[in-house]
Amino acid sequence: MLRRTTQLMTLALVVILTACGQAAPVAPTTAPAASPAAENPTPAAESPTVASTPAAENPTAVTEPTAAPSGATIRIGSKHFTEAILVAEMYALMLEENGFTVERKFSLGATAIAHEALVGGDIDLYPEYTSTGLQVVLKQPALPDEAAIMAALRKGYEEQFQVTWLNPSPFNNTNVFALTKEKAEELGVVTFSDLVAVSADVRLGGPPEFPEREDNKAILAMYGFDPKFSGDNYVQLDSGSLRYEALTRGDVDVVVAFGTDGQIAGLGLTVLQDDKNAYPIYQIAPVIRQDALNANPQIAEILNAMAPLLTSEVMSGLNWQVDGPEKKEVSVVAREFLVSQGVIK
Amino acid sequence: MINLLNQTYAYFLDNQNRFWAELGRHLSLSSTALAISLILCIPLGIWAARHVRAAQYLITAVGSLRLIPSLAILFLVMPYLGTGATPAITALTILAMPSILINVYTGLRGVEPAVVEAAAAMGMTARQRLLQVEIPLALPVMIAGIRTATVEVIASATLAAFIGAGGLGIFVTRGFALFEPRIMLLGAIPVAVLALISEVVLGFVERWFTPPR
Repeated sequence: MLRRTTQLMTLALVVILTACGQAAPVAPTTAPAASPAAENPTPAAESPTVASTPAAENPTAVTEPTAAPSGATIRIGSKHFTEAILVAEMYALMLEENGFTVERKFSLGATAIAHEALVGGDIDLYPEYTSTGLQVVLKQPALPDEAAIMAALRKGYEEQFQVTWLNPSPFNNTNVFALTKEKAEELGVVTFSDLVAVSADVRLGGPPEFPEREDNKAILAMYGFDPKFSGDNYVQLDSGSLRYEALTRGDVDVVVAFGTDGQIAGLGLTVLQDDKNAYPIYQIAPVIRQDALNANPQIAEILNAMAPLLTSEVMSGLNWQVDGPEKKEVSVVAREFLVSQGVIK
Repeated sequence: MINLLNQTYAYFLDNQNRFWAELGRHLSLSSTALAISLILCIPLGIWAARHVRAAQYLITAVGSLRLIPSLAILFLVMPYLGTGATPAITALTILAMPSILINVYTGLRGVEPAVVEAAAAMGMTARQRLLQVEIPLALPVMIAGIRTATVEVIASATLAAFIGAGGLGIFVTRGFALFEPRIMLLGAIPVAVLALISEVVLGFVERWFTPPR
């Protein structure tokens, strides 16, 4: 009897909690809009196209870039997949190298959750993808070039959330569709448009949020994919590794892949070409709360210095060290890479 | 709150086909797992009730399966069973087994020995005693176990969405990933309702089979 009651109470609790979850986050996102920080945008916002850091234009901050900030604690979050955790770990190592204490709060789920954690003050910064921020968080239309995206991001985030973007890394982790070589030959597909022709019959595997994200919806509609492709036939698989597992076992025909997934090269998969150039650029960059940045302006310099190291080749190679047969720990891969680049000891 | 329910309803209207398909999948995953556990556990429970010493080990072993989180079972069986319905049904079966087995055993052990002896004295065979005396008397307790297992399985079938088996959990995980409570509720509310319905219905069945005192 007791167990039954407990279960029913748990179910009731789930319903209530999910219901409350909607009301709660609204307040913290909008309330701070009136705070002084909003009227005082960082220098980066005024010259977003120049790859300048807020710290570089702030005379008080440039004095001693390597000065230990008396052990200030920075809480770093990340979304819940290999690359996000790997980059977050690199940010953490870079800051630790420069005297910060870092609290790691990784694997916060998908964009919305990491973003809530940032805006709500549970974390100070996390790595986010540029076009994801633009389209999913700010709900703005896609933009074609990097500089325009950064400008729109800094403006939108600073005005709405008192959060800003540091400089992005060069790699572009855009959405693609991947399948095994055999399957690609069997279906005779090379481009997204080829896939459209068979889209009513293939089983697509991907993450939970894929069918509901506005950017994907717009692109699938633009190409003319069958609604079943991301609807009735869609196989929802929670994590990236699981998707490739399902693909190689033949449980699905095609997967939603990210351009820098290590498995693409590692498993010798075929990536379909986005022949209408529909997907925008997804570069990774630290998003940081402005109060945390103002208190520790060196962070901008430290992370901006590291950003250019992460190219597409580097990133997919590092991802494969974690997801491939080596199954290395994220922290080990991040440290080895930064040491090999001579940016940490 | 009302507003949120309206949004959930609007999302339901836009995704009706998917909803009914996932509801069907949720029910078929749950009922398949329950059917397999019944087929395994009823004979096992009957055997255990006849072999009390071995039963202690068996029940401890099966009971300890319950200690492994269902999510962990999903991932543990995946290398062998792949993704999709098979590993999900396996995990749910493992989840359902302990309550059913323990209650079949306890129900049969709880039958008054004098009644069984009387049945034997009347010339009933072992098979007749089991089917006509012991099981009918043990039925309320057995059904109580099935009821617990059913509620557990329906609630936990939500996890199937993690590994591509679908079910109402896809709305829960999708809502969670997007931070969209209206999507999450489209999964959570029906799961709660299904669990409640099965609780109530099996409760009636249980009372139906309980002999009046």
